[in-house]
Amino acid sequence: MLVGLGGVLAALGAVGASYGLERVIEPDGEMAMLSVRVVVGALVVCGVFVPATLMIDRGVMRAVGRLRELAELGERGSITGPLSMRWCGDELSAAALAWADRCEHLDARLKEAEVRERVVESERHEYEAVLHSLKDAVIVTDAFNDIAMVNEPAGRLLGFDVPGALHRPVRDVVRDDLLARQISETSKAGVVSKQKRFEHNLSAIEDGEEGIHTFDVTLACLPDEHKKVVGGVVTILRDVTREKEISQMKSDFVSQASHELRTPLSSINAYVEMLIDGEAEDEKSRDEFYQIIKSEADRVGRMIDNMLNISRIEAGIISADYEEVDFVAVVRDVIETMKPHAKLKEIMLIEKSGPLVYTAEADRDMIHQVVMNLVSNAIKYTPDTGRVTVSVENDDASRGVLVTVADTGLGIPPEAIGRLFEKFFRIDNYKRVAKGTGLGLNLVKQIVESVHRGSVSVTSEVGMGSRFIFTIPYERDI
Amino acid sequence: MAKEGYILVVDDETHIVHVVSLKLRNAGYEVRTAGDGEEAYEIVNQDPPMLIITDLQMPYMTGLELCTKLRDREETAEIPALLLTARGYALESSDLARTNIKEMINKPFSPRQILEHVQALLGDSGEQGSKAA
Repeated sequence: MLVGLGGVLAALGAVGASYGLERVIEPDGEMAMLSVRVVVGALVVCGVFVPATLMIDRGVMRAVGRLRELAELGERGSITGPLSMRWCGDELSAAALAWADRCEHLDARLKEAEVRERVVESERHEYEAVLHSLKDAVIVTDAFNDIAMVNEPAGRLLGFDVPGALHRPVRDVVRDDLLARQISETSKAGVVSKQKRFEHNLSAIEDGEEGIHTFDVTLACLPDEHKKVVGGVVTILRDVTREKEISQMKSDFVSQASHELRTPLSSINAYVEMLIDGEAEDEKSRDEFYQIIKSEADRVGRMIDNMLNISRIEAGIISADYEEVDFVAVVRDVIETMKPHAKLKEIMLIEKSGPLVYTAEADRDMIHQVVMNLVSNAIKYTPDTGRVTVSVENDDASRGVLVTVADTGLGIPPEAIGRLFEKFFRIDNYKRVAKGTGLGLNLVKQIVESVHRGSVSVTSEVGMGSRFIFTIPYERDI
Repeated sequence: MAKEGYILVVDDETHIVHVVSLKLRNAGYEVRTAGDGEEAYEIVNQDPPMLIITDLQMPYMTGLELCTKLRDREETAEIPALLLTARGYALESSDLARTNIKEMINKPFSPRQILEHVQALLGDSGEQGSKAA
């Protein structure tokens, strides 16, 4: 419309000019008048119409330039602050302001979208960080059974390259047939709330050793955005091998501990009843019964001490009662107590010590328990007519007293040596040889190393026997 | 009063073997003892007893394994057994079905209770089992 107005003004100027020219060809008398008119007309055209036209043209040009500028700014998304549209004429200004409003609105929307995109991106990074920090293997598939997300543990376990697995069909990536089938079936079932759980054995490498591990597999359906259709499946594989092993060890322990405690209780109960019923024929038999009751009650006490002391040491609440302990005296005391047990199997129980006095600052009862556990084990795992030797000496290297319990027993298989001092650990093949709770050697280690800052070790050869050696520093470390 | 045959008491715990044997001997039964399942199996094969009283958890051969092995041999299949177990120790009924275990006695047990079971069992099977005066 502005252009139209400029055009009208220019046309008026042109009419004025043509009128002047018509009069130039009339006779001389009127020539002067006509000349004046022509000049006036020209002046009017030059002085009024041309500047007006130029002014209007400049306004239009400025408005258009400003609009272009705004458009460019809007395109770059950099419109900031209020927009100035002065000197553009009313209609042009209105149009430019409407356009500017639109630009401002678009700009705000654009910024909003950018922020949202950044939030989504950072959330995605967080999810990925969580996914990759998990020890469990995680595989996420989409509605087409293609890999959508997967973490390193899954790649390691199932033997595929993680970046290369993305967007490929699950069957091509997950080589384990059962697992791949379960993922497809879960997705196919199409029930959003459906979750499957099963145990599955897979070959896995732990600490450089390959072996069959048990995994707890959970498959859960991912709903699409309308929460109605299955959009994919999340599969989580958790290695439960160690948990199962511990659980088995604990249940073995409960069963063993229960048996171990009930056996001496059975004896006590039975002999007391025999005494009550007057079934001991004479004084000698009665004395024998009293002795048995006493020794079986001591046995129960020892077992309870073993169990409680382990818990106390682990909880850090045991207080050692330090005194100068004569190790030879402790060893002799243990041998005296264990002699009847050795005699039953015709095992020679020998104490061998030098002529010196061997003392160290320690808790006497605890050292007694250590020697007792080692000697009792040696007798248990040594066949009839074997030999168990306990010796005490001073050890300059460790600046402490060194005790050795050696036997001519079954020996320990090399693969079991490393786990021998673990709580509840028992050598499978030897469970049939003798009963036990798997606590004795763990307690030995705890008392020697955790409480007394000494050390304990074992050397053994299957079929030849074992040597358990422990040292206790002469002076305690305060 | 003399009995035909004897009772075999099997346990790796000598005190238990001792007290059960004494109770039964005082009641007039003849008793032989074994320290583990393998030893018991040999004794039974050489000279079958009229009843076996055995502990469950023993080294080398458990009481259950002993009773299952005896059940598998025609000569020893019918010998009844009493099984001593720690209370709560679950045994599969299918395992028990493959033996001739008549009773399970929980530890800690009472010698009187064992004697009662023995008398009931041997009486039921028509054997002599009356207590000597």
